[in-house]
Amino acid sequence: MATHNNHLNGDAISNRHVSKKPKLAPTAAVAVITEADLQSEFSHHDPAVARINNGSFGCCPASVIASQRRWQLLNLRQPDHFYFNELKKGILHSRTIIKDLVNAEHVDEISIVDNATTAAAVVLQQTAWAFHEGRFHKGVDAVVMLHYAYGSVKKSVEAYVSRAGGDVIEVPLPFPLTSPNEIITEFRCALERAKSGGKTVRLAVIDHVTSMPSVVIPVKELVRICREESVDKVFVDAAHGIGCTSVDMQEIGADFYTSNLHKWFFCPPSIAFLYSRKNSSSCDLHHPVVSHEYGNGLAVESAWIGNRDYSAQLVVPDVLEFVNRFEGGIQGIKRRNHEKVVEMGQMLAAAWGTHLGSPPEMCASMAMVGLPACLGIKCDLDVARLRTHLRDEFGVEVPIYFRAPAAAISAGDVVTGYARISHQVYNKVEDYYKFRDAVDQLVNSGFTCAQLST
Amino acid sequence: MITLSNNPTLNPVPMPQDDDEDPRNGAVEANDHAHQSPLKKPRLTRPISEPDILQEFSHHQQGFARINNGSFGSCPRSVLSAQNTWHLRFLQQPDEFFFNSLRKGILESRAAVKALINADDVDDVSLVDNATTAAAIVLQQVGRQFADGSFRKNDAVIMFHCAFPAVKKSIGAYIGPAGGSVVEVRLPFPVRSDEEIIAEFKKGLERGKINGGRVRFAMIDHITSMPSVVLPVRELIRVCREEGVDQVFVDGAHSIGSVPVDVKEIDADFYVSNLYKWFFAPPAVAFLHCKNSKGLVDLHHPVVSQEYGKGLALESSWVGNRDYTPQLVVPSILEFVNRFEGGIKGIMKRNHDGVVKMGTMLAESWGTMLGSPPEMCASMIMVGLPSRLCVTSDDDAMSLRTHLRVYHRIEVPTYYQALRNEDRDPKDKDGFITGYVRISRQIYNTDEDYHRLKNAINQILEDGKICSMLPVE
Repeated sequence: MATHNNHLNGDAISNRHVSKKPKLAPTAAVAVITEADLQSEFSHHDPAVARINNGSFGCCPASVIASQRRWQLLNLRQPDHFYFNELKKGILHSRTIIKDLVNAEHVDEISIVDNATTAAAVVLQQTAWAFHEGRFHKGVDAVVMLHYAYGSVKKSVEAYVSRAGGDVIEVPLPFPLTSPNEIITEFRCALERAKSGGKTVRLAVIDHVTSMPSVVIPVKELVRICREESVDKVFVDAAHGIGCTSVDMQEIGADFYTSNLHKWFFCPPSIAFLYSRKNSSSCDLHHPVVSHEYGNGLAVESAWIGNRDYSAQLVVPDVLEFVNRFEGGIQGIKRRNHEKVVEMGQMLAAAWGTHLGSPPEMCASMAMVGLPACLGIKCDLDVARLRTHLRDEFGVEVPIYFRAPAAAISAGDVVTGYARISHQVYNKVEDYYKFRDAVDQLVNSGFTCAQLST
Repeated sequence: MITLSNNPTLNPVPMPQDDDEDPRNGAVEANDHAHQSPLKKPRLTRPISEPDILQEFSHHQQGFARINNGSFGSCPRSVLSAQNTWHLRFLQQPDEFFFNSLRKGILESRAAVKALINADDVDDVSLVDNATTAAAIVLQQVGRQFADGSFRKNDAVIMFHCAFPAVKKSIGAYIGPAGGSVVEVRLPFPVRSDEEIIAEFKKGLERGKINGGRVRFAMIDHITSMPSVVLPVRELIRVCREEGVDQVFVDGAHSIGSVPVDVKEIDADFYVSNLYKWFFAPPAVAFLHCKNSKGLVDLHHPVVSQEYGKGLALESSWVGNRDYTPQLVVPSILEFVNRFEGGIKGIMKRNHDGVVKMGTMLAESWGTMLGSPPEMCASMIMVGLPSRLCVTSDDDAMSLRTHLRVYHRIEVPTYYQALRNEDRDPKDKDGFITGYVRISRQIYNTDEDYHRLKNAINQILEDGKICSMLPVE
């Protein structure tokens, strides 16, 4: 069980030593978590809902929530003491654990921010400044990003780069996909287009796992191509990275890498890390909310952006204890999530006569499953309404993606909707059967999305 | 919609004054309060009792004199409980919460704030984490105006020398590189009258025109942090308008819950106040009021998300997945303050009277004086420390603070001000006064807290110790 340190005495937290290397698997002294414990850890989840959307908002076990409350109460008890004596230490501890988990070289390379959206603002603000200060040139310098980049990140690129005069090149991605090569080819083409257009690519923004539609991008290869093609800097947006896919900073080789810990790493909302490879330009990164620590490096700036609740950033040690109660630790969890989501995805595709949106090796803990064409999904509004309908009428929570058919093909038999199913430790096969049965019922009753607009 | 009335300890059934206000005619829902004026006389037969107040703050460290509400604020258990309820609702089914509850909840909080501050339009009210974030938002757009030439290189911005350090750094980060120059107005301290401050400010405005430019932007504290004084913001803004200053930003970090805040009357372009300092919110939430926000096309939250371009209020309501619960509890806070005699007005008055009384008591005991007259303070007051303590640096002041915390279980911030003017500066019988404490008074404080401080300082003096000799471990 998680240690029940009495934080109200202020003893246990200050006595925690900073681990040199996190244990990545349960030791003999720690019993593997039982089914009953697991149920109990997620007993606050709505039991009436088949929650197959861990990808959007993540999850947090009860023992970590309890740890968060203890930190909050420690602060509220005597906030001045907390500020002077506990906060910095606690954040450094969390950062050190993350550094080891992602194989960064130095803890200075790891900053903690609210979420990947904030990390994107940090990195893109630096790019905007380069344009303002004349180091990057309007009409010449460009940023490359994937067409399926997350909506907020696209807006951030627009706000920070386009506004400053930078060009933005989008890499179109095919979907459904049959292999990572399709992505690599498109990426190379985009870089060549930039070159032949006389542009210099200053920054490439690459998702590790795209959000919608969700596929695992071959980031290692894309970073290598960027280096070959003299792209200045690469920023990997791995909102879904840690706890979902392999996250090794040396292997991936990006300049900047961000991942949310509240999606697949069991932290409460919200906490993300931003990795920034140590070199001369990394001292140029600033948190946009400027506070006392301005100029002391991003990690220190981010650790104090005015008075707030930093408790979500302080529970990382307790999360590590939690994941180490599972067979194989976080690696074991990832592997089992992947196997299960592929199995369930294939089960659903077989049941509905559809297909997966990408091969299993391009899925991590999420899979895109084609929905029966007869549901008549014709636009983004249809998927939003269908999602609400599934939630309200069937108790199934799953996001859906609209994929417009190629113009030449008649809409009749073509799959135009894909459900993004997630698998996390709290999921059961019943959740996916419930989804299967809900869709079967809709199909059998002759339901189409057109009915939802009335 | 969350109904706090399920918890009987939070909602004692009030006796209605008018039939149509009778809560028994319908469930007492949190959103009712969003549409009533929160300054209306609370309808209570049983105002909150002393034991209730003790219970509400029973999570504070016991046996500790916490006389620094000004730094980190405080949050009663009933509001924390409401916050927990919101938090668990999110964790229970976050998608449903996001699509059906979050936006509505934030809008209700914003509407409650709008009524509280007499704003015209709820679109003008945004909720952000804290005043530091609000400063980044406002200063970024000022920086852009310098960068794109709307404000010229020989134009200036003006602020007080004692502006909050984080905000000063923000000005340095966003305005300096964009080309504007910064005029700092020294706050006379100790201060005797509003006129002293207004005179210094006018001189500052003149200095801002030295390069042939204009003063484009003024940042004015409503209540300065250190040293803490209530500034005459209405008069200062009037002076700014007379001088043609384009934008005035009032940093009212301490104001809501300690001084009346009427944004129409104050008439700043931007007004921010933290709700977690004096208005019982949990860490952390602040409001930023922007006059005629619809005309402000270039005001953005620096964390760009899906709502970019839809106005600051909407942008701020979604800056990616985070814990928005501090922004959701404003209606619960109103329920809490309305359990007090006179509501928030009553609380403000009693805090003010109490802190002035205790400040005067301390000054008399130590043979020193107050840093400002009572009418220039709200719920905080600066009290001179005996010169025999020898506060000769910021380090000395910090040593004293740490020593008081560790050895006397007293939390009070300390301030060092070097000698400026031998003719003017305050003295006690032993020399010049260069150190001050900033005492706060909030509803959980008792007179005993301040007597402990009085005795601790007197003890240090009796022991013949000075700041640099004080143990801090």
